[in-house]
Amino acid sequence: MAIDFTVTDAAGKPWTLSDHLDAAVVITFHRGDF
Amino acid sequence: MANRHGEFVQRGGRVFGISADTVEMNAAMVEKLALPFPILSDPDRDKAIAPLGFADENDPRGIARTGALIISPQGEIVFSLLGRDYADRPVEDDLLAGLAALGLPATTQAPPEIGEATPGDKAMAYEGLTHYFRGAKFATLAIRRRHRDLGEEFAADTKGYLAMVERYIDALPGVEERRA
Repeated sequence: MAIDFTVTDAAGKPWTLSDHLDAAVVITFHRGDF
Repeated sequence: MANRHGEFVQRGGRVFGISADTVEMNAAMVEKLALPFPILSDPDRDKAIAPLGFADENDPRGIARTGALIISPQGEIVFSLLGRDYADRPVEDDLLAGLAALGLPATTQAPPEIGEATPGDKAMAYEGLTHYFRGAKFATLAIRRRHRDLGEEFAADTKGYLAMVERYIDALPGVEERRA
């Protein structure tokens, strides 16, 4: 099943996965609290 | 990841980081390391981090577990790595192999846009990174030598961690170049 989600980029703009699937998307998860 | 970003786009993949930090903290991280890819913010972890299985439920700080996913152009997860803790980081060669298996044409990825950048209170200054990684390396070597009796799993785990730290140390000149 295709997944989709919306988060926020570092310029404050919404970023939706399905807008970027003209290529493969490699997502790295970072611990945070930096 | 950053130093080998070109290898990812060459294999048809664009790289994005996700953390539970704020937009401003992520902007500061992108700026500090001159990252060629964005870091995306999911501060409540309910948009991507938790639904995709990367929330660290054992840590009260509301953070993510480390790891990586490769999502195909069809929107399917085709590769997944979930770290045990913050000492586990994805290995680029594993991700590149996963990407290569998709047989995609090369793509491009524009440098990330960032807004106001405000590092978190705990953010390490760029100048501290070398010392941080060297400290991690030599402490791990000492612990590894002290506990040779702990067997193969401990030896393999510390060896893997040392290899990761060495990759980060080796990557620092690349960061310096990007920042110049």
